[in-house]
Amino acid sequence: MRGRNTYHFRESINILLKTKWIGPYLLVPPILAFIVYAEAYLSTHGVTGIFNIEQRTVLAIWNGSLLLTLVAGIKSCMFFSGIWESSWFRNSLALPVSRSSGFWGPYLAVLSVASIIFILTIGAVAAALPEPGRFPLLQIIAESYVPVVWAVSTGAFLGILTKGTAGSMFFTALLLLGFLAGFPLARLPEWLYAVIPPVGRLMTLGLKYPQGLIQMLVLILHSAVVLILGRILFGIGSKRR
Amino acid sequence: MPPYISIGGYSDPPRIAHLSLEAGSGELVALVGGPGSGKSNLIKSIAGIRSTGWGSIRIMGAKPGSIRAREKAVFVFQNCNFAPDLIVRTQLERRIALIRGVPVRKVRMYIENWCEEMELTEAAKKVPQQMNRSQLQMLSLAPLVLTDPLVAVLDEPLVNLSSISISSVLSTIFSLLENKASVLALVQSKSPLVKRADRVVNLL
Repeated sequence: MRGRNTYHFRESINILLKTKWIGPYLLVPPILAFIVYAEAYLSTHGVTGIFNIEQRTVLAIWNGSLLLTLVAGIKSCMFFSGIWESSWFRNSLALPVSRSSGFWGPYLAVLSVASIIFILTIGAVAAALPEPGRFPLLQIIAESYVPVVWAVSTGAFLGILTKGTAGSMFFTALLLLGFLAGFPLARLPEWLYAVIPPVGRLMTLGLKYPQGLIQMLVLILHSAVVLILGRILFGIGSKRR
Repeated sequence: MPPYISIGGYSDPPRIAHLSLEAGSGELVALVGGPGSGKSNLIKSIAGIRSTGWGSIRIMGAKPGSIRAREKAVFVFQNCNFAPDLIVRTQLERRIALIRGVPVRKVRMYIENWCEEMELTEAAKKVPQQMNRSQLQMLSLAPLVLTDPLVAVLDEPLVNLSSISISSVLSTIFSLLENKASVLALVQSKSPLVKRADRVVNLL
């Protein structure tokens, strides 16, 4: 039947385009611009140890990605928790829609919005800064997109599992942990990197060449696992309540 | 042919101990119970968005929540039929198009005409929070008129309505029954539907 699989996607997109939801994403470009200028200033004064313009471009892309990862993860938690707790959403599952679309529709809607903002932000960075000749730009962009997908997936899982604020706090802590664990000074057992999302490691490896392809695959795996868990929770929860 | 709605041995302790009923073609059954008697939980179970617990429920012979059951039925809940942040008319268009299995553009005209007839054109352009309860209730009932369902399950359909709106909803329900639909109304004892129902089942 027409629209059976797209009903919740369309409703979610309409909700996500409200200022309340889209507004925080608009903070990403000015914050990123500030970070890029600050880093350029610090680099010219020899504080950061990054003198190479190519590395500064890559760093700017990763900064944009991580900022967006933070916003997308929090928004995903809040959005999923909000619709999951709302009666209208539950009642809408009585319509002749595919039950799976109740999970995948909002997920794809949040991911679409985050992806559009990602393209605009990273596109602006790539256009403004010189192309890093030694680095394959498309691969860097693809790698820096994976944390955004991970954030939306984790947000979907946490949003269904718990309240939006609690989920957002947990997500922020997880992102921070993943980020800090990637610093060269962090010394953790290798197996722990399979449990902690390798966001920071992907970034620090991304500043070198060749890049952290394995870390990217691990993060994709993390995203797939939380998504499956989220879908299972959704299935159980939609029958129990 | 199986009964359009069939409930057998349903219980929702401590509210409903044992409920069995059947509603056939062209039949209006009023299920009467006071506030907190388990009516809202029952409609959710019939709609397949809450586990049935004990007993069995079938709509046109299909399990509640199955796509076959949901295709043939319209459920009107007492509250929260619309997303709070979106314009009601847009939501109605999508819902009715979905139930009828046609593109949204094909139902716009019907909805516009119906809203005009019900004097709800302006109200439908607002979000739910900007409307009064009567307008919202009437708009919630729009799928009954605009989709010709075989089964309609309504939770307190006449609450919050003016006397004019009540007679309009009643005539909608009776035209559904003339079209051989089956209507299960979950109401309180003072509802006008109790007097007009083919059968009345008390929850307590």
